[in-house]
Amino acid sequence: MTTTTDRGLAGHSPRLSQGLPVTTPNRKKFNWSFAVRTLLLLLAAALTLGPVLWTLSTSLRSPSESFKLPPSFIPWNPDFTSYGEVFKQLNIFLLVLNSALVTGIIAVGQMVSSALAGYAFAHLKFRGRGALFSIVLATMMVPVQVTIVPVFMLIRGMGLSDTLLALILPAIPTAFGTFLMRQYFMGLPAELAEAASIDGASPWRTFRSVYAPLAMPGMAIVGILAFNFHWNEFFRPLILTISEQNFTLPLGLVSLQGNLGTGSISVVLAGVVLSMIPALVVFIFGQRALQDGLTAGTGK
Amino acid sequence: MTGAIDGHLREITRRTALGALGAGIIGATVASWPRLSGTDIPGRGDDSLSIAIMGTAADAAARQRAIDAFTRLHPEIRVKVQAIQAVDWKDFFTKILTMVAAGTPPDVVYVATEGAQLFAEKLAHPLDEYIRRDAADMREFFDDVHPSLVEAFMYKGSLYQLPMDWNAANMYYNTAAFAQAGLDRPADDWTHTDFRNSLAAMRKARTSDFTPYYWTNRLFGGVVPWLYANDTSFLKETKSAGGDWLWDGFYANDPSRSLRSGGYQWLEPNANDDRVFESFDYLRGLVKDGLGVRPEEGGGSSLVGLFASNRIGTTPAGGYWVQGLHEAGMGANDFDVQFFPRWKTQRHQFGTAGYAIMKTAKDKDAAWEWIKFSSSREAMELIFPNPITTPARRSMVNEQLYAGKGPAHWKVFYDTLDRFPTTGPIPAPPQQAAVETALMKNVSLAVSGDEQQLKQALASMQRDLELALRRQS
Amino acid sequence: MSTTTPPRERPRGAAGRARTTTARTHGAGGTGGAATTGSRHNQRWLAWIFLAPTILGMGLFTLIPIVASVVLAFFRWDIISAPTFVGFNNFSEVVQDPTVRVSFLNTIVFVVVAVALQLGLALALAVMVQEKMPAWLRVFFRSAFFFPLILSAASVSIFMRYLFNEQFGVVNWFLSLVGIPAVPWLTTPGGSAAVVILVYVWQNFGFSFLLFIGGLASIPVETYEAAAIDGATGWRKHLHVTLPLLSPTTLVASVMAIISALQVFDQPYVLTRGGPGDSTRTAVMVIFESAFQRLEFGQASAIGVLLTLIIMAITAAQFRLSKRFVFYQ
Repeated sequence: MTTTTDRGLAGHSPRLSQGLPVTTPNRKKFNWSFAVRTLLLLLAAALTLGPVLWTLSTSLRSPSESFKLPPSFIPWNPDFTSYGEVFKQLNIFLLVLNSALVTGIIAVGQMVSSALAGYAFAHLKFRGRGALFSIVLATMMVPVQVTIVPVFMLIRGMGLSDTLLALILPAIPTAFGTFLMRQYFMGLPAELAEAASIDGASPWRTFRSVYAPLAMPGMAIVGILAFNFHWNEFFRPLILTISEQNFTLPLGLVSLQGNLGTGSISVVLAGVVLSMIPALVVFIFGQRALQDGLTAGTGK
Repeated sequence: MTGAIDGHLREITRRTALGALGAGIIGATVASWPRLSGTDIPGRGDDSLSIAIMGTAADAAARQRAIDAFTRLHPEIRVKVQAIQAVDWKDFFTKILTMVAAGTPPDVVYVATEGAQLFAEKLAHPLDEYIRRDAADMREFFDDVHPSLVEAFMYKGSLYQLPMDWNAANMYYNTAAFAQAGLDRPADDWTHTDFRNSLAAMRKARTSDFTPYYWTNRLFGGVVPWLYANDTSFLKETKSAGGDWLWDGFYANDPSRSLRSGGYQWLEPNANDDRVFESFDYLRGLVKDGLGVRPEEGGGSSLVGLFASNRIGTTPAGGYWVQGLHEAGMGANDFDVQFFPRWKTQRHQFGTAGYAIMKTAKDKDAAWEWIKFSSSREAMELIFPNPITTPARRSMVNEQLYAGKGPAHWKVFYDTLDRFPTTGPIPAPPQQAAVETALMKNVSLAVSGDEQQLKQALASMQRDLELALRRQS
Repeated sequence: MSTTTPPRERPRGAAGRARTTTARTHGAGGTGGAATTGSRHNQRWLAWIFLAPTILGMGLFTLIPIVASVVLAFFRWDIISAPTFVGFNNFSEVVQDPTVRVSFLNTIVFVVVAVALQLGLALALAVMVQEKMPAWLRVFFRSAFFFPLILSAASVSIFMRYLFNEQFGVVNWFLSLVGIPAVPWLTTPGGSAAVVILVYVWQNFGFSFLLFIGGLASIPVETYEAAAIDGATGWRKHLHVTLPLLSPTTLVASVMAIISALQVFDQPYVLTRGGPGDSTRTAVMVIFESAFQRLEFGQASAIGVLLTLIIMAITAAQFRLSKRFVFYQ
C-alpha cells in the first residue's frame, strides 16, 4: 500500500485525458486488449439494459403471450392493450399528479432552503457554525425507518395524516442538499463578497445580487437529485399514505400486482414502463447534473 | 457596448423568467392545496359513515349502486366507501391499523376470516344486540346461509360479522391437461394418493413448460387444506362455549346444530404434530418429484395467467377464481372443479368475509343499518353480479351466476359446506399477523428441501408460533 | 462542450471548486473580513434567518423524532392503549428474538457481499471504460451503467421478480441454454438472498462506477508513465498505481455504499417479503413489521436504536481505518 510517487509533481501534472483520441501510433495489429475490454463492457451493458428492454417488450405483448419463451427484447408487433388496461385499473393521471406535486414541491423547497442554509454555513459568520454544521451532517447517518414512528405521530398531531403534505413537509429540510450548497458557495470566489462590501452592500444585498444568481447551477443539482430520489421513493409513501387518492406512482405500481396476486404480468409491466417515462426525461436532459450531484461533495 | 446592453437585457428577461417561475410555483401550490391536504377526497372529515374495503377505486365504484339503494332506504345516512389497496389481507389489516394509529379509523371495515379475531379482540363492536333486536328481519338471511360460515365470526360467544362472501379451497383442474394424460373427472371422494397419481400422469404427458400442481397465491392456502384433510392443523384447535342464543335462535333445526359453538380458539402451536409432518412430507414429495413447484413468498406470480395459458394442471382455489379465468380467456369447459382430495377426512378450509363495526364508530346504529342492508338479497345481487367470489347466500350460488363461464360442476362450491359440515375457517387468532408470518416463512423451507430441512423448518415453525401466540396482538 | 467529452478533471461541480478555494476563504479571514461591526451583526441575523427553514425543519422532523425514538424504546405502546414504561425490556426481548437476530445477521452478510460486489464491479468497469476507446462508445457505456440509478427500486423489483421466476423466467431460460438446470431463485434461502443482492447491485453499482470514474480521472498520466518505466504494465500497473491512488475515492464510495446497503428495504420487501424463512429479512424490514404490522412501537424503536448505533460504529471504524490505509495525494 505504498507508492513512491512524487506528491508535489502529481498535484500539478496534466490530467489523464481519456476523451481525446490519443491513439497508439499506427499499430496495424489487431488490438486484442481493446476487443476483450469492449466485449466485457458490452456484456455488462447488455446485462444492465436487457431487463429494461425485456420489460418494455413484454409490456407490448398481449396478456396471454406475456410468459413467452424464448424471450424477446424488441417489440416487433406492439400490442397496446396492456396500456389501456393500466389506465382502466389505475388512475394514472392522479398518481402522476401526486408524484409530480410531491416531488416538485420537495425539489423546489429543498433548492431554496438548502441554498439559504448552505450560504449561511459558507459565507456568514455566527457562533456555533461548525457545531451546527456537524449536527446537520450527522443526521445523514440515521435511517428514515428509525424516525418514521415519531414522524408518523407528529404528522397525526398536525392533522396531516394521509395527505400529500405528510410526505412533503418532512422532506424539505435536507442535510445532503445543505452540504452540497455549502460546498458550492465556498467554491465561489470570496473576492466577490469583498468587492460588494467595499461598495457598501449589506450582507443581504451581497447574497441577493452577487451570490444567489451564481448559485443556480448548484441549486439545479439539488433539485434534480431531490426529484430523482423522491420520484422513486417507496418506504415513506407506504407508511404515510393510506387512501388510493394519495398514492404516488411506485406505490400504485406495486398495488397493480393485484389483490392476491391476480394482476396480469404485461399490465403490471406496462405500468412500470409508464412510470419510467418521467425518470427517462430526467435521464436525457439532466444526466450531467445528476451525475455531478451524485458524486459532488464526495471529494475529500 | 452592444454586449453591455445585451447583458442588461438578458438580466431583465432572466428576472422576469425567475419571477414568473416563482409566481407559477406559488400559484400552483395554492391551486393544488386541496390535493395536498387531501380535502378534495369526497366525504373526508365529514360525519358520513365511512366504510373501508380491500380493493381499488374501481371496486369502490362497483358498490355505488348498492350505496344508492341504501340511500333511498335511509336518506338520513350518508355513506362513503373507501377502497384500500393491499396485496393481501394481512397487508390490508396493516393499513387499517395504520389508520387507527393515525387517528382516522373508518367506522365499518370489510374483514376476512384472517382478521376476524384480531378485530373482535381489539377493534370491533359485537352485533349481538342488533341481531336480537332485528331477529325477525334477520331470519331470512340465516336461513339462506350455512352455519359454518357464521361460526367463523363467533368470538367468545358473540357474533362480530355477518358473512357476505366466502371461498373454500376446492381443487381446480385444467380439463385439457387431464384429457391429455388420459384422466377422467376425479371422483368426489378421491384420495390424496389418487391426486398424486393424477399429477404423475400429467407430468408424463407433458414433460416441459408445465406444472401439474401449483400453489395458490398465498402459502397457507396451499398448506392448510392438506392439514385439514389429514385431520390436523398447525395450531391446536378448540372451541369456546356460548353462542347458543344465535344457534338456538336461528339454526335450531340445522343438522349440524350440535357442532356449533361460541367460536374457534387457537391458543397453542401444533407444528410438532406427527400428522403435520406427514402432510408437509407429502407436499415435499410433490416438489421433489417435479409434480409441484416450490412455493414462492411475496405473492403475485400471476397464477391466473399461468393457469389460463394451460401451464398448470391443478391448483387449490375457491369460487372467486371463475371470473378471473373467464377474463383471461378460459372457456366454460376448459377447466373444472372438484372437492379437495380426501385423506383422514375430507374437511375443507374456507375463508369468509363481512362487515365489522369499529368500536370507535361514531354512529353504530347507522353502521348496523348498512350491515343489515348489505346482507339483504337485493344488496348482495348488486355487489356480486359476477363470480368474483362465492356469495354467502346459498340461493345465489346458482346456474345463472356461472352461465357461460363455468365450471360445469359449480355445485361443488356450496356442496362443500353441506357435505362436510366440519369444514373450518383459516386458523387466525388475534395475533394473526405474527402467526401468519410464522407459518409462511417456514412453509417454503419445509417443502423444498430434504427431510432434515423439513424437520428443522417445523421445529422453527413451532418456536415461531409459540412466540407469536405469546404476543398481545 | 457537450456530454461527449468526459471530465478531464475529477473535481467538476461544486466539490471541486470548493477544494480550490477554501484555503483562500479562510486566508482572507472569512468573507467580508473587512466588514464593519454593523455588517457582522447583520450577518448574524441574516445567518439565522437563512438557517431557520432547515434548522427548524430538521429539529422538528429529524432531531425530535430521534430523541422520541430513543424514549419510545423504553415503553410498550400499541397506540390503542396508553404507553407503559418497561425499562430495558424491549431491548432484552429484541436481542433474544430469533427473527431480529437473523435479520441483523442477514443485513451484515448482505452489506458485505453487496458492497464488495458493487465496488469490485464498479471499479473494474470504470478502469475499462477509462482506457482508450472512441468517445461515443465511452458515453454509451457510462449512460448504460448509470441508467438503473434513475429507476425506482420498487419497479425494478417488480420486473426482476418475473425475470427470476423458476419455471417461466428469462434468467433460467438463458441458463438452460448452457445446460444449467432451473435454479429455484426465489424459493430457496440461498437463491432469494442471491436475487436480492443481484438486484440491489444491478441498480446501484452505477453510483460507485461514477465515483471511480471521477477518481481515475484525477490520477496524473505521469504516474503511469513512471510506473511503466519501472516495468509495471497491465494489471500490475493497476495494482501498484491505480489502487493506492484511488484509495480516497474507494473510502468515500465504500462509506456511502455501506450506509445505503444497511438500510435496504424496497428490494426484499417487493421481491421476497423477507422469505423464504427469514432468509432475506433485513433489519429495516423487521422495524417496519413490528411497528406497522403488529403495532409494537416500543420494540420497533428499540431495534431502530440498535441499528443506528451499528451504523455509527461502522462509519466511525471506517474513518479510523482509513487513516492507516488511505493514501492521500
